[in-house]
Amino acid sequence: MKNLLALIILLTGIQFNAQTTINGTVTNTKGEIIVGANIYLEGTYDGSTTNEKGEFSFSTTEAGTQTLIVSYLSYETYTMVGDISYMKDLSVKLREDVSTLDAVILSAGTFSAGDNSKVNVLKPLDVVTTASALGDFVGALQTLPGTTTVSEDGRLFVRGGEAEETQIFIDGIRVLTPYSPTTNNTPTRGRYSPFLFDGITFSTGGYSAEYGQALSSVLLLNTVDEPDQEKTDIGIMSVGATLGNTQKWKKSSVSVNASYINLAPYNAVFSDRNDWIKPFETLSGETVFRKRTNSGLLKLYGAFDTTNFELTQEDINYDDNIRFKLKNSNLYFNSSYQGVLNDNWSVFGGASYTHGNNKLNIIDRDIKDTENSIHAKLKFKNRINNRFKLYMGAEYFSTDFHEDYFDDVVSPINYGFTNNIAAAFVEADIFLSKVLAFKTGLRGEYSNLFKDFSVAPRLSVAYKTSSKGQFSLAYGNFYQNPSNYILKFSQDLKPQNTSHYIFNYQYNADRRIFRAEAYYKKYDNLVKFDTEFAGFDSQYNNNGSGFAKGIDFFWRDSKSAKNLDYWISYSLLDTKRDYRNYESEAQPNFANTHNLSVVGKYFITDWRSQVGLSYSFASGRTYTNPNNPGFLNSKTKPYNSLSLNWAYLISPQKILYASVNNVLGFKNVNGYQYANSPDMNGNFARRALLPAADQFFFVGFFWTISEDKKSNQLDKL
Amino acid sequence: MKHSIIIATLLVTGIINAQSNYEKGMQKAFSLWGTKATEASNLFERIANAESNNWLPFYYAAQINIINSFGEKDEKKLNAQLKKAQDLINEATTISKDNPEILVLQALLHTAWVAYDGATYGMTLSGKVIELYTKAARIDPENPRVVYCKAEWDMGGAKYFGQDTTPFCKDLERAIELFANFKPETPFHPNWGKERAAQVLASCKQ
Repeated sequence: MKNLLALIILLTGIQFNAQTTINGTVTNTKGEIIVGANIYLEGTYDGSTTNEKGEFSFSTTEAGTQTLIVSYLSYETYTMVGDISYMKDLSVKLREDVSTLDAVILSAGTFSAGDNSKVNVLKPLDVVTTASALGDFVGALQTLPGTTTVSEDGRLFVRGGEAEETQIFIDGIRVLTPYSPTTNNTPTRGRYSPFLFDGITFSTGGYSAEYGQALSSVLLLNTVDEPDQEKTDIGIMSVGATLGNTQKWKKSSVSVNASYINLAPYNAVFSDRNDWIKPFETLSGETVFRKRTNSGLLKLYGAFDTTNFELTQEDINYDDNIRFKLKNSNLYFNSSYQGVLNDNWSVFGGASYTHGNNKLNIIDRDIKDTENSIHAKLKFKNRINNRFKLYMGAEYFSTDFHEDYFDDVVSPINYGFTNNIAAAFVEADIFLSKVLAFKTGLRGEYSNLFKDFSVAPRLSVAYKTSSKGQFSLAYGNFYQNPSNYILKFSQDLKPQNTSHYIFNYQYNADRRIFRAEAYYKKYDNLVKFDTEFAGFDSQYNNNGSGFAKGIDFFWRDSKSAKNLDYWISYSLLDTKRDYRNYESEAQPNFANTHNLSVVGKYFITDWRSQVGLSYSFASGRTYTNPNNPGFLNSKTKPYNSLSLNWAYLISPQKILYASVNNVLGFKNVNGYQYANSPDMNGNFARRALLPAADQFFFVGFFWTISEDKKSNQLDKL
Repeated sequence: MKHSIIIATLLVTGIINAQSNYEKGMQKAFSLWGTKATEASNLFERIANAESNNWLPFYYAAQINIINSFGEKDEKKLNAQLKKAQDLINEATTISKDNPEILVLQALLHTAWVAYDGATYGMTLSGKVIELYTKAARIDPENPRVVYCKAEWDMGGAKYFGQDTTPFCKDLERAIELFANFKPETPFHPNWGKERAAQVLASCKQ
């Protein structure tokens, strides 16, 4: 009974315990009051909201040590542990959350497309609605500043760099053979269909220490984490057909996509400058499997494609046309896992395998090459807090390249190399405040082929000058082993090297973006050789060097006019290099001084149509005219092209799409080929290197079948 | 025996106490909602923190942030609010999985982005929204909010593509019927949407 009494007293004691009042004010670090902040004792109902003066006051029956929590949107949550009797006349200062939309971002050198990043220069849709791009993500990126127009090649040439200096990654893992093979007068396309990706980051310099073996640029593609719904996509085009299907289960999903392209019917209607024996034909298939685990996401990506064609082309040094036959097959497999280990640590691991096979017949020569490559990466992220994040990781690349050569003159030769590279990196993101941030990293690489170890530091700083504008600086050192076409003949070399210095200003307001970026890039240890083409007899060294400097401008506006979205890119490039068989330092033939791109899209609601336009201008490219003294001594006339496209929604799930490249039929010249020996008058005759066709027409019908009867393939076009 | 009575009494008192605290808190939050949405949302959050096994306070705190986001023109604020709402929805989902009410709320969160900038988010989020409604309807085809919200979304889509919206009016009629027969599990379980559904249906008949 005594016990019961005690308990009742205890119980009522709690009920009628003296109330304690907790009060104070909440401001930010600048002393500005915060209205509407939430203040409470953790695990209890006791709390309040700040009033117009930033004040709060509430009473509680709790006693002893408690945790007081103060939270407000866009600010870091404040926690105070202490005895309740001391929680009087508090003056709480909340720190701004550095992960909000208006905080400074580390963006020098980088263009992002996707929902995840805070400043999107491109939207995922743009990849596929840009008139000149024809559904190729590389084509869409060529409308951004920093790229140069090499219309017969189609790959990405960034800031005076060769195409091999740009590396492409899918889900953080390297793609070794990203481009489909084509003839030498037709632009190539990315091998992988854009609709499997929902995030694209294109860096034209100064990128993170996580990425190596790229002198100029990296392009990061992320596959969709989780498809929205089950559906089937059917496409019938003037050049072939595509078929896609997505299936979803509770925790996993699979997407498959197949396409077949055959240019025979197109070439029959619109003949081009090639003499086709076997028109271009390609068959490709891709599949992505994704599975969510309790704390992570596993993705498997596989792609296979095979291409073949045979043709003859004019050559000024041969009376007969030159016969060229190609058969290429490519298998790519990529797996990655990312997961959370605990509150602070997360892990990423991935590996890829590439098997590429080329069979070439040129006149009477047969060349067969095989490339087997793997890339494996393991990365850890330690999020110490919102303001300090640490990344570290290691990776391994291995390439085995093998080539067989047959002709009537010499006995068969085979040769090749194995290029193994091990690398480790560490990097930190440090946000000193909402307006000032650093990223600093270090990358070490060991090349087994050259027995060479290199260390590459990276640094970038961003400072926000106003609510919409910010300045950034970036510096980085980058190494890359020479390309396969060199390594297959000589392995007694060193990695090539660049240093980037970047200064960037960015203004980002409601659906309007302006950026200007000035850069200086220095090349060292470029490979030189002493013959017309790289071969067995050539002498190789690493004595080449060069530079590139310039300024890039970008403006995008989707606000000023209703339903109109447009962007303008301009790049000024001054570059010279002494490499390969150059006699002296010269502007290489893939670099144009001026590049301009204008892209516009307009949605006409009444017509249920989106019309698009894309114009590009590039100043002339260099070539060597042997009739005049000097090396790379002349320039072609400027390049011009205007492309139009039109997408019409027949119904929400049926789309008719048409596009024309180079509507105005500009006669562009990519360069000139000169005869090896002069004619009777001592003149070297020449032949203009023209595109296979001046114009390209495309018509397609795309039909999506899904449960909701609403989604369509507009985002793929 | 004496002891067990004591313990029982104690326990019961404890439970009644907690219950009434929860009820008081929820009632106060609902009464604040009309006039002081921020305070209501803060209070729901406080209740959520104290009642970590109950999805309802998380749900309402998220709902207030989402409703406030419709019509918000400042992207910074919109992003902060919707990010917070997403965190709250995530908490609610951890407590109650495959809950059609939470799925509807998630669909509304995406709809707020589409309403802010249809050109940017329409294409990327509409598939997600549809998938959420489809999933919710599979779990509970008789839930009036699932039927009504899906119908309103479908009408928006049809308007965008210049198509006839009348086929969705009968979905709304069905929603109204379901609303009439709907009994929430407790007084604090979701029971909103009837008035708005009637308004949208009225626009159908014009």
